[in-house]
Amino acid sequence: MLRITVDGTAYEVEEGLTLLQALDDLGVLMKGVDIPHYCWHPKLSIDGSCRMCQVEVEGVPKLQIACDTPVRDGMVVHTGNERVRKAREGVMELMLVNHPLDCPICDQAGECKLQDYAFDYGQMHTRTREPRRALKKRVDLGATIVFDQERCILCRRCVRFCREIPGTSELAITQRGDRSTVETFPGKPLENDYSMNVADICPVGALTTRDFRFKVRVWFLEEVPGICTGCSRGCNVHVGVADDQVRRYTPRRNDEVNDTWLCDYGRMTYQEIGAPDRISEPAVRGDAGQLVGTTLEQAVECAAQLMRTAVEKEGPGVVAALASAHATNEDLAALRGLLAALGSETHGVPIVTGPADALLIRPEKAANAEGARVAGFGEPGLLLDKIRGGGVRVLIVLGHDIIHEQFLGSPEALAALDGVILLDTHRSRLEQVAHVVIPARHLAEKGGTVTNFEGRVQAVPAALEPAFEAVAEAQVLARIASALDLSISDESERKRETD
Amino acid sequence: MVSVATRAAIDAEIAKMPEKRGALLAALRLVQAEYGYLPPEVMEEVAQIFGLHPTEVFEVVSFYNHFHVQPRGRHEVNVCTSLTCSLRGGRGLLRQLQAYLGVRAGQTTEDGRISLGHEECLGACGNAPMLRIDDTYHLDLDWVRTQQLLDGLE
Repeated sequence: MLRITVDGTAYEVEEGLTLLQALDDLGVLMKGVDIPHYCWHPKLSIDGSCRMCQVEVEGVPKLQIACDTPVRDGMVVHTGNERVRKAREGVMELMLVNHPLDCPICDQAGECKLQDYAFDYGQMHTRTREPRRALKKRVDLGATIVFDQERCILCRRCVRFCREIPGTSELAITQRGDRSTVETFPGKPLENDYSMNVADICPVGALTTRDFRFKVRVWFLEEVPGICTGCSRGCNVHVGVADDQVRRYTPRRNDEVNDTWLCDYGRMTYQEIGAPDRISEPAVRGDAGQLVGTTLEQAVECAAQLMRTAVEKEGPGVVAALASAHATNEDLAALRGLLAALGSETHGVPIVTGPADALLIRPEKAANAEGARVAGFGEPGLLLDKIRGGGVRVLIVLGHDIIHEQFLGSPEALAALDGVILLDTHRSRLEQVAHVVIPARHLAEKGGTVTNFEGRVQAVPAALEPAFEAVAEAQVLARIASALDLSISDESERKRETD
Repeated sequence: MVSVATRAAIDAEIAKMPEKRGALLAALRLVQAEYGYLPPEVMEEVAQIFGLHPTEVFEVVSFYNHFHVQPRGRHEVNVCTSLTCSLRGGRGLLRQLQAYLGVRAGQTTEDGRISLGHEECLGACGNAPMLRIDDTYHLDLDWVRTQQLLDGLE
């Protein structure tokens, strides 16, 4: 370990790091030690092009860029004295010489480093009279990203990202001098599974996602910590909420899970939350064979009645449950609790699989696949055999992954059951055979814990209320239990009440 | 595909360099000499030879004025317009050329005969105004002499 002193405070840092890396590892960069920077990014190679992170190192005549200056034992650094300030003002002035004054229509405004640092180091007046360079304001780099050439400060973060993280290298800085711009190779648009990260790491408003562009000013967003539900990686995200709607996911840094990245597929799963096909009202199958909307109390009572009748006729063994790998650990614990209280041991969980890669994307396409396994839910094959053999009369189903083509493919196999009690977030063909349908909450609407593929249990709060009346599956199951005069000894449920 | 001869010349350039990519500029010059310009598929082939991403080759090609991604005329006529030449009539010569050929600097005549351009300091300030036709310098020009030079190009 080396000892360095930054602005009078001593730190122990590891050898072989540069100043910014060391401060970032200590967790003090921009949280106590403010060294402004554009091109440096903790997860990308060092570029040293923006010159914004200049600091004074005692004994070194010229200012040094903190991003590319190795730490030395006994190093004494000043990050905010007059000389440093002057240098940064100079850098800012040159960066702003050609920057358009379009903050009022720029999506980055409010979370723009150029704006932030202009407040700290900018001049009130411009000293140049020459016209700003006029370039293209709307270049489609690919299907997901729109590029504004005028706003670009040429930090090369996006170029380095494409070369170093997905390794696809679609982007290049072409031309030179004040004609320099970001371009794709002729005929090869920006197209990879992680393309939208370039908009996150763009320190200015040059790269924006087509999805979020012009949708909402970022200062109206409430950013709540969340977990992406696209696969079992459990990438940490910020859930951006405005007007009771989720407007975007952006990656939340977690070096143990997803670094600072998020795949495009996962990022777009936020759209499921406000999708038009959400189940928004409880329903029970009426006498005419149609699903009829009702209250939650009625639906719960109806579900309890189906179970009561079946148990009275044929014993608890004929009630079974299909868990969901999308449910939280709390929901799954409640389901186990209900089954245990009934005395049924017949259950399983369908986990849909799909393409994976070596970076983030996992084959299991649900956030809590591992949590379901840990809770004791196994492959659904045995349960399905028992259903086909007539050994099940009533089935509680969380989610509709069971009718995915990797499992049943259609709900027909469940049509012969006396009762199918469906707790689900989104409409599906499973409703055709359901006797009771109860709306469920999305993870972002209920919070809780999910367990990722490595066994990491991650807790998130609820980010918003659903647009309709719905309670979490755990609470629905608890209500069904109490309607049956059963007490489900669920640790997490008790804990939630006492919290 | 670059010809066997060009490929051999590229390999000879690579052999001279401590790092392979050091020969990239030389290779691009050789390939452009063969094709007249550097279309995307050729840049990709060069990238493959050097183990680079095509975008890295594209960056180099776009950085230098002497590399072209569009087809060019049979002859390059470039007037020097740096300060000394401009003081001695370089820019006037360029204007006359534009009017005479009916194209602007950076464009190619319709018959594909001449690509007109201008560039900074060809190192012949003492003999300004001057221009370069392909690889040959023409010094101490006046309009009559320039016209003769142009008309002599096939």
